[in-house]
Amino acid sequence: MTSGATTMRGMWSVVAVVAVVVLVAMYVTWLAGRLDRLHARAAAAARALDAQLLRRAAAAAVLAEELAAPELYAAARDALDAAPGEREAAENDLTRALRLIDHPAGGPAGEAVVAASRRVELARQVHSDCVRDALALRQRRLVRLLRLSRRHDRPGYFDVGDTTLELTPPVPA
Amino acid sequence: MRIGIVCPYSLDVPGGVQNHVQDLAETLIALGHRVSVLAPADDDAPHPPYVVPAGRSVPFPYNGSVARITFGPVSTARVRRWLTRGEFDVVHVHEPFVLSVSMLAALSARAPVVATFHTAMTRSRAMAAAQGVLQLILERITARIAVSALARKVQVEHLGGGAVEIPNGVAVARYAAAEPLSGWPGPCAPGSGGTLGFLGRFTEPRKGFPVLRRAFVDLAERRPGLRLLVAGPGERETLLEEVPPALHDRVTFLGLVPERDKPRMLRSVDLYVAPNTGGESFGMILTEAMAAGTPVVASDLDAFRRVLDGGRAGALFPTGDHAALAAAVGPLLDDAGRRAALAARASQVVAAYDWPVVARRVLEVYATAIEAAGGVAIDDAALGDVTLGDGTVGDVGMGDIGTGDDGQLEEQPG
Repeated sequence: MTSGATTMRGMWSVVAVVAVVVLVAMYVTWLAGRLDRLHARAAAAARALDAQLLRRAAAAAVLAEELAAPELYAAARDALDAAPGEREAAENDLTRALRLIDHPAGGPAGEAVVAASRRVELARQVHSDCVRDALALRQRRLVRLLRLSRRHDRPGYFDVGDTTLELTPPVPA
Repeated sequence: MRIGIVCPYSLDVPGGVQNHVQDLAETLIALGHRVSVLAPADDDAPHPPYVVPAGRSVPFPYNGSVARITFGPVSTARVRRWLTRGEFDVVHVHEPFVLSVSMLAALSARAPVVATFHTAMTRSRAMAAAQGVLQLILERITARIAVSALARKVQVEHLGGGAVEIPNGVAVARYAAAEPLSGWPGPCAPGSGGTLGFLGRFTEPRKGFPVLRRAFVDLAERRPGLRLLVAGPGERETLLEEVPPALHDRVTFLGLVPERDKPRMLRSVDLYVAPNTGGESFGMILTEAMAAGTPVVASDLDAFRRVLDGGRAGALFPTGDHAALAAAVGPLLDDAGRRAALAARASQVVAAYDWPVVARRVLEVYATAIEAAGGVAIDDAALGDVTLGDGTVGDVGMGDIGTGDDGQLEEQPG
């Protein structure tokens, strides 16, 4: 009788332990999947941002040719050719060069630059959000303990200033 | 573009978010996009052809009022089916933090998700408690839009991360072309006549109606023929509290006017007065009055000052000061030239809030979300007045630089 109860209790403990192990394993699997998804998202957003930056620099080069503005052309070239470590500075220089141009919106080349700048800003914001989400998950204790993020490179922010050229319509507070 | 829009609140009852969603959908359709709106609505109630009802809704107290929402296994199945059938390029959910089809769609969508936050939820305790859950929803959202700087501030401070500010749109053409109510606004000459307008919940303290009422009483005693036209929910008795009986016949109360009659009401007054004392995160009613071509007199709130271009597109008076309001209104009613100048500047300013302009900015966010999800750049030609599937791929000065799958949107059958 007593031994039967002990056996029962022992069996239930085993069941409980197995259940906990299964739940933890499911949680870890889910966490790893989430980590994969967030890193993939950040990488895709980085590629999109890269494409938008190239598009802006190309549009700036076209505008520079149209206006015969050598400084702007050089800034656009630098942004296109910049090595990964110098890219942020080169893009900021290009933003500054574009802001020196009077009324960039005049004509189709100017409009293309203004539109491309707006799109860079949007892409940068989305990229920053994706990077922030991925980094936050990497910081989790369990993620660090199990080194779940070792298969992924640490995503980094693309640190450039606001690229918009024209003031967008006044937005009420 | 194939766009799926999700509205959390029932379309059977009027509301700001519902109006926003329907105006946005109609504008996008006019721009040549394919739009489907999923929203709680009765299956047998009449609704526009682009609306897919997500089932009946239940009342749910939210943000100080009662919202009708839909949530549960049946709704989940309907949301999934809608997402599968729609094959959307982008899914645009409104207020995804409300327990609703918006939240369900954000969690189940495979297409990139754009979310618009309308309310400036300042209560952060509930948000902090649910942070983990909200984070799971946020991770499904690629790009966020806030309709006001206040709503954006909440995003940045409580949730981390940015949001693009895109204001509420206004259908300028509909307002500008509306026929005034017959017999309104009536005569308005130096020293006599004129009509002041107010639209909204006059019982709500933040709307500041008592400020306008006192200013009206002061002015009406000196100015023969001055009238006040009020529309909004409430009782006439409440409206006329503190108004001397002799002036009662100079106050006209329309009761609650349906959305489609708002432009007519706004066109029926000489001056629209916005005496709000605070809490207004966006001066929607101001842009509506401006679109209607009616000069505006408004409290000197930050939000109002910004919409009114610092006072050039409408007169400002110190918030809550009825004497200052009366002092601003009197001379304006005497001066038709100044009213016309304010209205002219207002119509220039309000062009930036016209729905087609606002919708193009929303489309840019859609494109950004699609690009960020796919890691490519798509062509801007897909954003404008391009009918889907016509195959035009404009090359915006890209020259020799390949940016990946330009124009990939056009390759998909419309």
